[in-house]
Amino acid sequence: MSIARRLLSTALALFALPVLLLAVWWGYTLGGSSFFVPEPVQLADTFVNTWITGERLTEDVLPSLQRLVLGLFLAIVLGVLLGLLVGLNKTARSLTEPVFEFFRALPPPVLIPVLMLTIGVGTEMQVAVIVSGCLWPVLLNTIEGVRGVDPVQSETSRAYGITGFSRIRHQLLPGAAPPIMAGVRQTLSIGLILMVISEMFATSSGLGFTIVQFQRSFAIPEMWSGIVVLGMIGVALSFIFQFVERRVLRWYHGLKEVENAA
Amino acid sequence: MTRGSRGRPRSGDPAWRAPLLGLAGIAGSLLIWELLPRAGVIDGRYLPPASEVIAAAIGNLGSSIFWSDVYDTMLAWAVGLSLAALTATATGLLVGMSPFLRRYTHSTIEFLRPIPSVALIPLAVLLFGIGIESALMLIIYACFWQVLIQVLYGVADVDTVAMNTARSYGFSPLQRVRDVVLPTVLPYFMTGIRLAAAVALILAITAGLVIGSPGLGSAISRAQQGGAITGMYALILATGILGVLINLAARWVERRALSWHTSVRAELAA
Amino acid sequence: MQPDPEDASPAATSGPAGATLPDEEALLRVRGLQKIYPADAGPVEAIRDLTFDLGRGELTCLVGPSGSGKTTLLKCIAGLMSTSDGDVALGGKTITGPPKNMAVVFQEYGRSLFPWLRVGANVELPLKNAGTPRARRKELVDEALEAVGLEHVHKSYPWQLSGGMQQRVAIARAIAYQPEVLLMDEPFAAVDAQTRADLEDLIRSVWKKLGVTILFVTHDIDESVYLGQRVIMLSSSPTVIQDDIAIDLPAERTQLETRSDPRFTELRHHVYEQIQQAKQGFRPRGA
Repeated sequence: MSIARRLLSTALALFALPVLLLAVWWGYTLGGSSFFVPEPVQLADTFVNTWITGERLTEDVLPSLQRLVLGLFLAIVLGVLLGLLVGLNKTARSLTEPVFEFFRALPPPVLIPVLMLTIGVGTEMQVAVIVSGCLWPVLLNTIEGVRGVDPVQSETSRAYGITGFSRIRHQLLPGAAPPIMAGVRQTLSIGLILMVISEMFATSSGLGFTIVQFQRSFAIPEMWSGIVVLGMIGVALSFIFQFVERRVLRWYHGLKEVENAA
Repeated sequence: MTRGSRGRPRSGDPAWRAPLLGLAGIAGSLLIWELLPRAGVIDGRYLPPASEVIAAAIGNLGSSIFWSDVYDTMLAWAVGLSLAALTATATGLLVGMSPFLRRYTHSTIEFLRPIPSVALIPLAVLLFGIGIESALMLIIYACFWQVLIQVLYGVADVDTVAMNTARSYGFSPLQRVRDVVLPTVLPYFMTGIRLAAAVALILAITAGLVIGSPGLGSAISRAQQGGAITGMYALILATGILGVLINLAARWVERRALSWHTSVRAELAA
Repeated sequence: MQPDPEDASPAATSGPAGATLPDEEALLRVRGLQKIYPADAGPVEAIRDLTFDLGRGELTCLVGPSGSGKTTLLKCIAGLMSTSDGDVALGGKTITGPPKNMAVVFQEYGRSLFPWLRVGANVELPLKNAGTPRARRKELVDEALEAVGLEHVHKSYPWQLSGGMQQRVAIARAIAYQPEVLLMDEPFAAVDAQTRADLEDLIRSVWKKLGVTILFVTHDIDESVYLGQRVIMLSSSPTVIQDDIAIDLPAERTQLETRSDPRFTELRHHVYEQIQQAKQGFRPRGA
């Protein structure tokens, strides 16, 4: 009984507000009075027809996602590797810091016209845009993480002969993981922004392009369904990240809890 | 000396070393940028040498069109950021202080927050066209969540003992907010503002680039379409410098606010 | 100048050099060690001139007033810090970097254990890194954790344990590494008194069981006399050896009986006097 009640109460907490919001939305569109806002059932119908049973899934959504995943992967790997190299060397750190800060501060979308010029329009350009925008948070956070590694941990490594690659793997990377993960979190949302607007800007396929096409032809329910797809990708990325982060940094959250309790 | 020698021995680096190396890094990067097109590694039509771009950027400083673009971008940035900060702080305090609201809004917030604000671009265009309102809509949506989440963290961090003490001394709810909640939330709020300030600039520029809202973004887009490549790079350089200035200012304000905060707390503790 | 290693009378001061041994008995030799730090206001001489030997299987304590460069000396011996002059040799080979057959236990146990590894993995990591086969690794880890009385916490994270238990894990990691020399840098300075007494007895029992050579740095005079077969006292900075005495207490020591032994009191008194003199700036002959 009490388990059932607790489940019910949790379900209520999870779904009460979303259901309420849906009801308000439905009520608002009931008379068909709004040009800009489709009614919920119609939107769901359009969503299925446009994105699930249509060709858009394989022709627009999947290629966009592939570019996003490839770009994010390259940016993270490159950022961590470069960050280790620079972070371990004090001179390299001082030398590069202002330049890297400039690139971090540069709003990433301005890279799109630059890369359109130097690389040309196409998949390579879109991946390059994602990499060159997403690199900086990971890179700078890795440098910060490596710089902030505990000197006692480093001496322990040396005393026990844990050096070179082994030290990177067993001490530096895990030790710097909390700031690196914070950088990755920032990078995910930048990557999604760049994926969408690079497609709005300069291609003839992809999610961003399709959604803008819908808007220009005043296909309002389709446009909204595209916004829903982007929202779902954002939510999915965020959940995947949270899942991974909770595993990778389980020790860190536990440690913080102990420290805060003290 | 044992205590002193416990840390690393001083490496003997003078204080001016790091800034000097930083300047050398900037100079080196500019030199590479200058040489790449001059040596023909990259076509000079696509990447003009640094000297030409810098000259154009300095030339911009005397141009009223440039300053009006900067003004438009910064107006959208400032208005968007302020409105987002106000609404997010009010919402955050309200939701954060009520266990009921916290519990019942959690799933909705976690679901709406990761939606990329650029997904709203088509809607903004439909509703507002190329006006500044389009840029504001994107900026407010993106910044709202950044600040809201931090304020929620801040309210969750409020010391229950302090809160109960205030209650037992008969503080009114308003006094409790002012004297207990706000001081705890302040550092979190400042972190949210610092993050949101950078995000707001990104979206102000994006709105210009993609929608054509007035400002540096649309100026870059115009320069690119008009083939004024050097001018385009000069504008990009300007947005980068704007970004650096915003970051520096945000960090400065955050530090000021926090140092005030800790010093006040230290005084109370003493 | 040459002190007599046999002279264990606490009344006799043995001079600026510590006890040296014939080649075949010495495991660790420290000769004319000097350490000068560069600093903004010019170089600082932390250690002036240290010479002593550690015999194979000896348990030696190193005490000195705060600021006497104990940690610096230990880091030079561990190969974690270069010397400015003189040299340190282990088994006849000059130390230039951390040697394989040496293990260090640091004072800051909370920062020396890796918080992302569980207790078992922390103890195992140096072995894994050295390429010890898996089965042997498991054996060594189990033995080491058992030796420090922690066979039940394999799967815990270090930060889930109390301070004393964390330092036990650090000791287990050092034991599992099977070093010939174990260096300990004020390992119990940050634990409470009761735990400290338990850990002292743990060190004595591990030392007897494994026959490892231990250099134990402490600022606690009672601890040095209770633990050591020998106590080296350092002067204040720039550091030389103030005195070097043998502790002729019985091999079986217990907190209650040993500490109330009149001989313990005598030795303690002597070490205390030397440290007080060192603090007041009195330096042995020739330094």
